[in-house]
Amino acid sequence: MPLGDSGPAVVPGDATKSLLIAAIKHTDGLEMPPKKKLTDKQISDFVLWVDSGAIDPRESKGESQSLPTKKTKSTDHWAYKQPSLPVIPTVADQNWATTDIDRFIAIGHEQGGVKRNGDATPEVLVRRLYFDLTGLPPTSQDVKTFVELCSKDLQQAIQSTVDQLLSSERFGERWGRHWLDVARFAESSGKETNFSYPHAWRYRDYVIDSFNRDLPFDQFIREQLAGDLLPANDDQRRAELMVATGFLALGSKSHIERNKKQFEMDVVDEQIDTVTQAFMGVTVACARCHDHKFDPIPQSDYYALAGIFRSTETLYGTIPVIQNNNPSQLVSLPAGADVTINADRLTDTARQSLEKQINELRQKRLELTRKKQFASSEFVQSGILLATLEAKLKAYEADGTPKKLAMGVRDRSKARDSELFIRGEVDKPGEVVPRGFVSVLCSTQPKLPSESSGRLELADWIASTDNPLTARVMVNRVWQHLFGRGLVDTPDNFGVSGSNPSHPELLDYLALTFIEEDKWSVKSLIRRIVSSRVYQLDSATNPENFAVDPDNKLLWRVPPRRLDAEEIRDAMFLVSGILEPERPIGSVVATGGEGYTGGIERFGLLSESKFKCRSVYLPVIRGRAFESMDVFDGVDGSMVVGKRDQTTVPTQSLYLLNSPYVMDLATSAAKRVAEEERLPKDRVRWIYEVMLGREPSAQEVESALAFIDKAKAQSAPTGRLVARLRSPNAEQTAWAAYCQSVWASGEFLVRK
Amino acid sequence: MSSFPQAFTSRRSFLRSVSYGFGAVAFTAMQRSQAIGADASSLSPRKPHFEPRAKRVLMLCMEGGPSHVDTFDYKPLLEQRDGKPIGKGKVPNGRLMKSPWNFEQSGESGLWISDLYRELRSHADKLCLINSMQCDIPAHPPAFVQMHTGISTSPRPSMGAWVLNGLGTENQNLPGFITISPPPGVGGSVNYGSAFLPASFQATRIGSNKQPIAKAQVANLKSPRPSTLQQEQLQLIRSMNHSAQQRDPDNSFLDGLMEAHELAYRMQGELPEVIDLAKESSNTNSLYGIDRPETADFGRQCLMARRLLEAGVRFVEVCHGGWDQHRNLKEDHAEHAGATDKPIAGLLADLESRGLLKDTLVLWGGEFGRTPYAQIDDGRDHNHTGFTTWMAGGGVKGGMRYGATDEFGYEAVDNKMHIHDWHATILHLLGLDHEQLTFPHAGRDMRLTDVKGNVHLDLLA
Repeated sequence: MPLGDSGPAVVPGDATKSLLIAAIKHTDGLEMPPKKKLTDKQISDFVLWVDSGAIDPRESKGESQSLPTKKTKSTDHWAYKQPSLPVIPTVADQNWATTDIDRFIAIGHEQGGVKRNGDATPEVLVRRLYFDLTGLPPTSQDVKTFVELCSKDLQQAIQSTVDQLLSSERFGERWGRHWLDVARFAESSGKETNFSYPHAWRYRDYVIDSFNRDLPFDQFIREQLAGDLLPANDDQRRAELMVATGFLALGSKSHIERNKKQFEMDVVDEQIDTVTQAFMGVTVACARCHDHKFDPIPQSDYYALAGIFRSTETLYGTIPVIQNNNPSQLVSLPAGADVTINADRLTDTARQSLEKQINELRQKRLELTRKKQFASSEFVQSGILLATLEAKLKAYEADGTPKKLAMGVRDRSKARDSELFIRGEVDKPGEVVPRGFVSVLCSTQPKLPSESSGRLELADWIASTDNPLTARVMVNRVWQHLFGRGLVDTPDNFGVSGSNPSHPELLDYLALTFIEEDKWSVKSLIRRIVSSRVYQLDSATNPENFAVDPDNKLLWRVPPRRLDAEEIRDAMFLVSGILEPERPIGSVVATGGEGYTGGIERFGLLSESKFKCRSVYLPVIRGRAFESMDVFDGVDGSMVVGKRDQTTVPTQSLYLLNSPYVMDLATSAAKRVAEEERLPKDRVRWIYEVMLGREPSAQEVESALAFIDKAKAQSAPTGRLVARLRSPNAEQTAWAAYCQSVWASGEFLVRK
Repeated sequence: MSSFPQAFTSRRSFLRSVSYGFGAVAFTAMQRSQAIGADASSLSPRKPHFEPRAKRVLMLCMEGGPSHVDTFDYKPLLEQRDGKPIGKGKVPNGRLMKSPWNFEQSGESGLWISDLYRELRSHADKLCLINSMQCDIPAHPPAFVQMHTGISTSPRPSMGAWVLNGLGTENQNLPGFITISPPPGVGGSVNYGSAFLPASFQATRIGSNKQPIAKAQVANLKSPRPSTLQQEQLQLIRSMNHSAQQRDPDNSFLDGLMEAHELAYRMQGELPEVIDLAKESSNTNSLYGIDRPETADFGRQCLMARRLLEAGVRFVEVCHGGWDQHRNLKEDHAEHAGATDKPIAGLLADLESRGLLKDTLVLWGGEFGRTPYAQIDDGRDHNHTGFTTWMAGGGVKGGMRYGATDEFGYEAVDNKMHIHDWHATILHLLGLDHEQLTFPHAGRDMRLTDVKGNVHLDLLA
């Protein structure tokens, strides 16, 4: 309920704590209406309304009715209670289930009256495993090996393949990307002006490495929130921990904001929003201006957390130019750390030339200042250039080696509690709220130290086994990436307005085994889930089941999913034989230095055709996603995204059919096909095996060859077309058109 | 209609030709809405909350902040006090500057319009000048983003995306929301994005204001291959999907994918024709000022917008930038007004003669106005506390002046219209209640107007 200046007017479910009731009863010195007291009957109606949850009747009409009105007290909400280890259900069909996970699912099948699918074929299963665990399709050899292994021992085949995939570097690139979505990773500020964050890529690499090293998830949380406050034995480790805190620094920012306090509170708000959604699936940022409308999160909780982040200094860089009123320092990584450097040494000549330019600009600006020409474009432009060059010079040590810089945070010299801002307005400070955590999730508020921010304590509390949400939220994220839909379908919102879990016991079982048996190992959790029988189910639809459970909540099948943007691009590159699998050093955003992102754009550094790396390493400029990502619902780091859209829209078709970028790729694929096989029918077979992971039927070969013939006839080389496709002949054009058609087909775009 | 031969039969007959199961057509259609989300189908037209006054929107966006005291907000006192300090506001010693342009009353309504918009004077009785506009921040990027999305500090859906969310669109062969020549800066794609709304609600962009519209293209709309080859490709894809569908009969993704390919193909056929201005008569060209270099670009934008609206696109935005005259006001404002006056006058005349004006809401305005006092010698600073936009057509009172600024044009004092109110009123004209048009995101029901906005009913016809 709206918070007045003296506290909440109504506490749903509790009339005795509601000021409104006190006021209409004329107790506690508040008298409303002031002159004439309501009748006893009217008052008791109000009491009844508040005690029964103070439901807003307006919510039950119109389109906005998306939130169920709950009669239970919101503190009773399932997600705020500790998970408890459920009894493993006994199922009628003893033969199907191979793991405990299966028993939780099977009991749902039995009780829900659905007949689950049979097992997927090995060809389907291997493609599923490869895409899900590494984001890349299996090679035709991988498929053959797996099918062969399966013929001997299916379970063994799965285990060894899963182990192999989990230990591949490609795993971290896939699962790191999932986390980067949640961590709203990007390399620019976004918002109204778009400044480069040239050091953000270090955090990207840290995330990928952490998944590959299988850093326990609780430790991963601590490092991202408070790495700077954790002990480190050496410079190397210290550097890693500092880079991890980039998590807090790389959110979107309105650098143009003139009001410093507003800027500070907006940065803090972004941090609270990200931290609470990412780790705990609660939307605390809703309580910036008033108590949370649905969840038992009072506005004071928000400002208790705000105190922690206001006692923290966020270091994101950027330069002091027009439209940036809020530049900051960066984190200097310890000298002894062996970290990636993606710049060359600054030679003495280059330094002298830089210094000369800087001096000239300073002189010029002095002159303009004398003439009071502050609004001249010359003054503005020279200011931008000067700041850019000064930042460039500052990026090097005195001896010319590039400084080791990162984004991150550190504690301010003094910790302070934050005042609560009435209606979230920074010029309306209210009472000071002691720093603390989300009250509904902890039995007592902690006593935070006065000499440090309390961030370490916050990290420990979020990562503790006692937090009812952290493990549940993470296992749910993992489940969602493997089954297309979480056990809770709103992965970033476990609150009252989120979805209820489809399998609450399974969710708790997974959360508790994740903590106790897996010791927060994400790889163990994934292995546990993909080893289940339910993960092996075929993805076909079935009208009877559909009639009962159209959303497949009971998991009678593994739902097919459209590949995501990274998978589509990476797969096209891989099958064309031109994917560069190694991690690029740093990022082109870094080579552009500090300044507006417009700069790197003008230098042509953001031309998509320049990149042959995996998609996770493409530069991420907020509001300027690459077409290959944007078209297929990729994210640009503007907000926390636990679940991407999965649209099927005509712009994707136009992209696949007409984009010169895809056509160039198809030409590469056609060249590779020509190198691999000579006979047309062998080429078709090769394409099916490599691109679709199966052999073609005789009819499919036939229609492919018919297409090639027609295409050859129609691509009689006219000058313009050849130039466009860089194809030397009709033969290659025809095969390119064929490969491209395969990419636009449903079978290529879907992991079943 | 498309001049392309139809490579596909209709979806219905395609489905009929695929033999599987009972009631498969209805079943697949039902399932598709589950499987591929609300996106593809949610563009179909929907009923508004109540009887609408306008069915479509054309926004004439004047990026940079056109000066209201030199165009549509006549302040005779500026002439009398020229050179004297304003004596109020943030810069009390700012010296008032009289408008370099003469104002005249026009139409039966007698609205005051300056010489900058001479041509538009003949349409005065269609205009509803809103002299009392306000927004939150006097800096271009946040103000521009706020004008488009309501809030500048986090990515929110653009007004056009909200309108599609509320109403869908009429022509399923065309995008529902199109933005022509938007600026790449000042928030960029946020200004026409869908943020947390389904991706299909975002605008299709034609060109950018860095290039003449005559050279602009819609991304990937044209096939670089010969059209016969592309038809063969589509036929092949269709047969591949068909055979995949035989293996997995009710795979709804395949159905959605085929529909998207088909629609893309139809768009590829229909959209180029709609935006191709080559066949327009010389009369039309001169009506929009396309025959004169200074008005050609914006004239083309306006004509293209009119064609798109007529073809059933729900929301079209065109943009003319460069209004930011901190200096050189006299010359540059004359240039920008000169570039837009004739095209807008032609557009209004054309919309009226085609019977479209009555249910097309035309909006004109920039992210803020300019100060009545001078900056440098011949310029004005940003002013967000009072400025002017106007509406025409679709259910608004013509020949009306709504709200007012103070005696200098510095600050709105009467019937203040904040951007949130402006949004609420626009939605109201379209039959949408801005408080009911919500979408759940990040734990709450989001709105274009956030938690604010009042509909100003007095300007409705």
